[in-house]
Amino acid sequence: MPDVISTDHPLTREQRAVLPALLDTLVPASEDGAMPSAADVAFDAYLREQASDFVPRLVAALQHFEPSFAGLSLAERCERVRDFSAADPPLFQMLLTRVYDCYYQDDRVRAQIGVAAGAPFPHGNRVPSGDLSLLDPVIANAARHAYRQA
Amino acid sequence: MADDVVDVLIIGAGASGAAVAWSLADTRMRIVCFEQGDWTKPAEYPSTAANWESQAYGPYHIDPNVRGRDTDYPINNDDSAVTVVNFNGVGGSTILYGAHFPRLHPSDFKVKTLDGVADDWPIDYDTLEPYFAVNDRMMGVSGLAGDPMYPPKQPPLPPLPLGLVGETVARGFNKLGWHWWPSDSAIISQPYRGRDKCVNLGPCISGCAQGGKSSTDITYWPEAIRRGVELRTRCRVREITVNEHGFANGVVYYDAAGEERFQRAEVVVMACNGVGTPRILLNSQSAQFPNGLANSSGLVGKNLMFHPIAFAQGFFDERLDSHKGPQACCILSKQFYESDPARGFVRGYNMQITRGAGPLSTAMAGYVGGTIPWGPGHHAAFRRRFDHVASIGILCEDLPEECNTVTLDPTRVDSNGIPAPKITYRYSDNSLRMMEHGQARAVEVLRAAGARDVTSAGALRTSGWHLLGTARTGDDPQRSVVNRWGRSHDVKNLFIVDGSVFVTGGGVNPASTIQAWALYVADTMKKNLANLFD
Repeated sequence: MPDVISTDHPLTREQRAVLPALLDTLVPASEDGAMPSAADVAFDAYLREQASDFVPRLVAALQHFEPSFAGLSLAERCERVRDFSAADPPLFQMLLTRVYDCYYQDDRVRAQIGVAAGAPFPHGNRVPSGDLSLLDPVIANAARHAYRQA
Repeated sequence: MADDVVDVLIIGAGASGAAVAWSLADTRMRIVCFEQGDWTKPAEYPSTAANWESQAYGPYHIDPNVRGRDTDYPINNDDSAVTVVNFNGVGGSTILYGAHFPRLHPSDFKVKTLDGVADDWPIDYDTLEPYFAVNDRMMGVSGLAGDPMYPPKQPPLPPLPLGLVGETVARGFNKLGWHWWPSDSAIISQPYRGRDKCVNLGPCISGCAQGGKSSTDITYWPEAIRRGVELRTRCRVREITVNEHGFANGVVYYDAAGEERFQRAEVVVMACNGVGTPRILLNSQSAQFPNGLANSSGLVGKNLMFHPIAFAQGFFDERLDSHKGPQACCILSKQFYESDPARGFVRGYNMQITRGAGPLSTAMAGYVGGTIPWGPGHHAAFRRRFDHVASIGILCEDLPEECNTVTLDPTRVDSNGIPAPKITYRYSDNSLRMMEHGQARAVEVLRAAGARDVTSAGALRTSGWHLLGTARTGDDPQRSVVNRWGRSHDVKNLFIVDGSVFVTGGGVNPASTIQAWALYVADTMKKNLANLFD
């Protein structure tokens, strides 16, 4: 959580302590270190700039977790999150959507999965035109593939 | 304003309204088009932002009930196996469509004669062929001539790139000896008529910021407006009014401020799609037309057809760069397009090969499907699926049944108090068998192409793109709503140019045929101006 925590932050101090652990549980760093943890992408900025409408639901989700959650092992945290997902599946799915939405906008993450940073427009993507000689068998069998006369 | 008479009033500025407006502009008549939505701004489309995927689930969602703009109207899908998707604005649903642009086949116009089901159209493929060609040029269609599954045609632009997805699946078709061909696509592969070419952004169905996708706000409309057509946005029509002689004489509509207004017109042209058109007709009740306008047959709103859709996804060991390129436009197969009694159903389906989704959609679909977990296993599972996928959509012909309907909802209304449409729709046994067959064949292709893991599903619910059949064309006034050139049997200055007129739906995306029909109706009107109402 690299962002500044200000006094008008919508989360309580306890919730702010739980959130990084929850993010890290949902998307931990990869074992080789190439993929960052969701706790290491700018989730606070995401909430402010793109998902302020989600904050009340985030608060509701965080209420499922005790302050001690942050001190648990990853396996124990996963167990708690599974309990939460079973107790309130719609809220959990909403949380997961937001976490993934933030995570997969991160430039480091995108670089690792082969997606260009930022918006698709205007740069776009290169796509190979492909080998149209693959059509040769279709053309050779044109009589068999002929359209139905009407 | 009440004395301000226009010669032709077109309702709806989407695929068909744009085409008919452009063509009728030749006449130098005073032509006005009412559109309930706005112009969209390409600079605001989701692909201009890093969070384009989540935006596509919000203000650019394909489902108007989710999107919920004040320019949308609610649709009651509670009694329907398929939910309606659309867009309301200049360009209509071409703003969000995938731009897969095949034509109906010659056989699609003669299903009664050929297969003994449904009804024949009163016109044939040859009648529409010149209009298909004009429309291809106006829209800007990319494709490859020579597909044996069609009569000869020449797309104006070379095909879109196959990419690794297209090449990979094509090899699967070749192994099985099945037909495939690069799709005709309403996306420009080269600069064309002042528009720059597609740059493979990917998210076509949330609007094309590049302008490579041929939506009618950037194809027909600029030319139609230059030729004198007046397009008024934020004008939502409530009903069409008639005079004592049974002719349409104008419309009651709401302007941007919500004020009720009346616009007089000599001719009214409906271009509101297969849900919007019957909605307005059924809401246009009067002493002369107590069951709604143009409805002496009782068929307005009946015979609603979608295209039942199933799909399969194959995951490959090699990277296919699936998220790059126009998602819905790649290659297609007509191997199972025509009837074969041995298959256990009549008529057939198109196989539409599509590219992959972005990372957010991939991750969430993986979560819902149980293939990509959250937590420690996330990265490995994600890497095996993202950009390693090719998909096949099975787009089935849906035969007309009078039990599938658009009616007026008794309680739900839009923001102007106009009754919302209510959809009543169920799949036929024929459609269910067809989807099942298509799923199995799609799995077969993907395995032949080398997929290590294949999943499939049928009866996709949020798939009601193609809204057809609810004001069908025909020669018999008791069995159809409009005649063979789109004029109402009952109201001789009322025309319909959208997908409502389809007698049968074929097994392909209908936009190309809808627009060809609109151009054909306009041309027929022009040829008959002296005796248009006889």
